[in-house]
Amino acid sequence: MKTLSLKNLRKTYFDPYAGSQVTAVQDVSLDVEQGEFVSVVGPSGCGKTTILNMIAGFIPYTGGEILIDGNLVKGPGPDRGVVFQSFALFPWKTVLENVGFGPKMRGVPKDERDRTAREYLALAGLSHAADRYPNELSGGMQQRVGVVRALANNPAVLLMDEPFASVDAQTRMTLQEELTRIWQERKPTVIFITHDVAEAVFLANRVVVLSKGRVLDQIKVDLPRPRVWDQLIEDETFKRLSAQVLQMVRAA
Amino acid sequence: MNIALKFWSGYVRATHRWPIIATIVPFIPVVAIWSIVANSGMFPRAFFPAPVDVMRSFISLTYKGILPDYLQDSLIRLLFGAAIGVALGIPLGILIGSSRLAHRICWPVLLFFQAIGDIAWLPILLIWFGFGLTTMTFVIVYTVLFPIVLSTVLGVQSVHRDLARAAQSLGASPMRVLWEVTLPGALPNIITGLRNGLGYGWRALIAVEIIVGTSGIGFMMFDARRAGSTVEILLGMIVLGTLWYIVDAWILAPIERATGQRWGLVTS
Repeated sequence: MKTLSLKNLRKTYFDPYAGSQVTAVQDVSLDVEQGEFVSVVGPSGCGKTTILNMIAGFIPYTGGEILIDGNLVKGPGPDRGVVFQSFALFPWKTVLENVGFGPKMRGVPKDERDRTAREYLALAGLSHAADRYPNELSGGMQQRVGVVRALANNPAVLLMDEPFASVDAQTRMTLQEELTRIWQERKPTVIFITHDVAEAVFLANRVVVLSKGRVLDQIKVDLPRPRVWDQLIEDETFKRLSAQVLQMVRAA
Repeated sequence: MNIALKFWSGYVRATHRWPIIATIVPFIPVVAIWSIVANSGMFPRAFFPAPVDVMRSFISLTYKGILPDYLQDSLIRLLFGAAIGVALGIPLGILIGSSRLAHRICWPVLLFFQAIGDIAWLPILLIWFGFGLTTMTFVIVYTVLFPIVLSTVLGVQSVHRDLARAAQSLGASPMRVLWEVTLPGALPNIITGLRNGLGYGWRALIAVEIIVGTSGIGFMMFDARRAGSTVEILLGMIVLGTLWYIVDAWILAPIERATGQRWGLVTS
């Protein structure tokens, strides 16, 4: 079953300084099955973040269609959870309140949403941090909260916009491994935007390469799970796929 | 040297236990110099009274109930005006801060009226409303309003766009985004605006009481001038300074510590 479907998606906007129309997304069609993990890679300016923002409903699209479970996207909504590069945790809310925010907006009573939030915090190994404020946590921990906050709302699609780009390299590897573990446990449908080719291949079932606002190519990743860097770093298939994607991105 | 260090350590520990000591100690030299000058006979005592005289006047006016009454009048006026200013200023600031259209329309007008100082309104206000509470309230509301509006606009604009987006994608309606994201995000700035507004309002109130008043601290000071009582004028000035310190240290600063500083939005 298709959870997410992009049909001839297009985005143009008027640049008042240049006095002309600019095309950010030319023509993108993409289907994502339920429980699939899709990475989207491409050089900067290829329109990947624009596409994610359109799926999230943050910016309007100027052509084509975005369907979530068959429903047309018209604005932001809780069926699409978003994980931001900037983490975007609410600084005035504790970790527990941040994770319970989605359920709160749905009117779930406090006891129940606290229980849900604690369950998801445990999933990310963050039970001890429930009553802390975001500014008291490291960047890696903050983004773990960002991920489970989106998951705790049970979205149809999880949209991740370069979520690990602003943490240090070691933490990033840990977060990537944890994300694959959580994905295996919960099987959410994920769109993961990144410019890091190895990251894209490591995480996904399928890698979509974008170029100049179009889908250049797609590659299936059939690596076994659980995926661990110590093993994959020497794995021939992983190396071959990464090289292949890298070549496409650089040629793009 | 050793003794000085010991003394210093004792002082630091004492101020840690009783913070009020840190407030009072810096005033000791001020009062001492004042006392020395007053007692030196350089000026006549009626012209330049000593701290003791002011203290005596403080006790007597408090005992007669005049000072508490006037203080109460001034504070009620300030709080009344400030409450209206806050009730108008925060919504206006949120509107201007979150809507580009409202910003374009209101901003030039806002800056224009901000430039016309509170006191500059008095001539026309006295003709319109006469010597009364309406005039005083108008001036205070006017004074309090601008710092609050400007700070709220700044606060709203400083909230990271991703926070509102995060809330929306977690299912928050526009009203919930306002309540859960925009307001708390703007709060540290709003408090700064409130602090400035109350400070300006307090000064404006005294000025207005001098011209319009029939009671209040400003009136007391101006009335004392007519009677040639320098003691009461100085007492009024000291009350003004002390009161503001109390409002700032006991009300505004704790709010700041509990909000922006706690959340890491403002570094302490």
